[in-house]
Amino acid sequence: MMNSTLIKHLDSLKTLYSREKFLVLSNIAVMTVTFVILGFFFGTAVGMQTAIKSLEEQAQVTLFFEDKYPESEILALKSRFEADERILNVRYISKEQAFQIFTDINKDEPILLEAVSKDILPASLEIRAQRLSDLSSLATEFESLEGVEEVKFFRDVIERFRYWANVIYIVGGGLVLIFLGLSFAIVMSTLRVTIDSKGDEIEIMKLVGATDDYVKGPLLFQGLFFGLVSATIASVVLLIFFTSIKFLGLFGATSTVFILPGVRVLSWIFLIILVVLLLIFGGLLGYLGSQTAIKKYLKY
Amino acid sequence: MAQIEYKNITKDYDVDDRVLDNVSFKVEKGEFVFLVGPSGAGKTTLIKLLIREELPTEGEIWFEGLGAVEDAEAVESIASDVETVSSLVNIFDLPHDRLPELRRRIGVVFQDFKVLNSKNVFENVAVALEVAGATLNEIKNIVPNVLGLVGLSDKAEHFPKQLSGGEIQRLSIARALAHEPEILVADEPTGMIDRKATDDVLQVLERINSLGTTIIMATHDYKIVDKMKKRVLRLEKGKLTSDKKEGKYDE
Repeated sequence: MMNSTLIKHLDSLKTLYSREKFLVLSNIAVMTVTFVILGFFFGTAVGMQTAIKSLEEQAQVTLFFEDKYPESEILALKSRFEADERILNVRYISKEQAFQIFTDINKDEPILLEAVSKDILPASLEIRAQRLSDLSSLATEFESLEGVEEVKFFRDVIERFRYWANVIYIVGGGLVLIFLGLSFAIVMSTLRVTIDSKGDEIEIMKLVGATDDYVKGPLLFQGLFFGLVSATIASVVLLIFFTSIKFLGLFGATSTVFILPGVRVLSWIFLIILVVLLLIFGGLLGYLGSQTAIKKYLKY
Repeated sequence: MAQIEYKNITKDYDVDDRVLDNVSFKVEKGEFVFLVGPSGAGKTTLIKLLIREELPTEGEIWFEGLGAVEDAEAVESIASDVETVSSLVNIFDLPHDRLPELRRRIGVVFQDFKVLNSKNVFENVAVALEVAGATLNEIKNIVPNVLGLVGLSDKAEHFPKQLSGGEIQRLSIARALAHEPEILVADEPTGMIDRKATDDVLQVLERINSLGTTIIMATHDYKIVDKMKKRVLRLEKGKLTSDKKEGKYDE
């Protein structure tokens, strides 16, 4: 029964394609472009958040210790900080390492290198917070610690990051929602053109005794089919696009997901999620679009 | 028992546009009834009301054999001479999902044909069978027979735009007959065909009528009406002006 219905629907699609090729192709083309834009937009939104996340992670407080402050005390502090829930990670930079870093950075400046010895550079702890908002209060706490000579914290930069991160979460999320609505309207209008071209037929079928389900069945299947085919083509286009960007090094190794800060996955998993989402969304949009467009013909 | 009963049907398309005015009549099972009258008399509207393509401003149409409607009040004002009250239904009380049940029991030859332009002749006829639940095998057997009956066997693969007006009319008749409805309603079924084809159509209608199908036919063709000597209902300006057993066009 299920199989014969499916065969019948596929047959009617084949017939529709053979008789109204242009209408079918233009339907799929419009829906494909819509899904590509939607996917591109979604991907870009996620990419931007990845960038912001990454900047957030680079934001840190650096504690420079007094020359005489013993390394063992610094390492004890490091352990204490690592146990603190607010802190993401702590990196110890010894005097030797600091000198090495300085040498690497200034390898083309021999005069400068001659003037600096490893004893001049202080040992330090680089501390990253779990949440950007905690950085400021942590910095204040660190200032009163024994042995701490200087706390370096780019307050303005961090605040600006925080501001823009919020703007992008809110505006990006809103734009994705608006575009979802727009996509639904576009898909529904596109499918309506096909259904309107069959409006007389639907009325006639109803007048000769067809049930709503009989009339709706092939059109809903058609909407679902158009949605899935368009979403598949759009997925291939987006996969090629995002993979190229990744190879060019513009797309990070990890991505945040669904505008949820902190949820991170590998970017290839993100691409699979994007494809699955597009397919579900495409199928659903095609199905619901057809259902909405057909409604006015069922009153007979 | 009356198979169909129009009770005090009034239909206004606009405040000052009354097309049917308190029309009442009954049609018995197996009857052959002509609906005659000038253009605009309300014949087509009477037919549209029977398949509930239109709703009346006032009145009811009772239909035999559809089974009870949930709402018990619907059977309250049934004609007194009806034996099986529960099998009569006012079609305007039928819920939307039971409309197909009504329409499958009535074959309609529409005045404007209402053929499906994107389907070929075979598929046009097959639709009526498909919606009535026929299997693919039944469709493959029945459709060629019906097309043969109306002389369209050699046009099965043609699309409506490839047919003449008369052929489209015959296609419309074939579709109305395909699922062997209890009632066949034909709105000017011979309006666009020649005398020979008209005789063929009438022969088909007489044959299925003799097998028990009720026929209601709206026509302008006085020759047919006068020749067939069947019951004639005359409509003028929306009113039923005469109802004769073996009537003539002008009576």
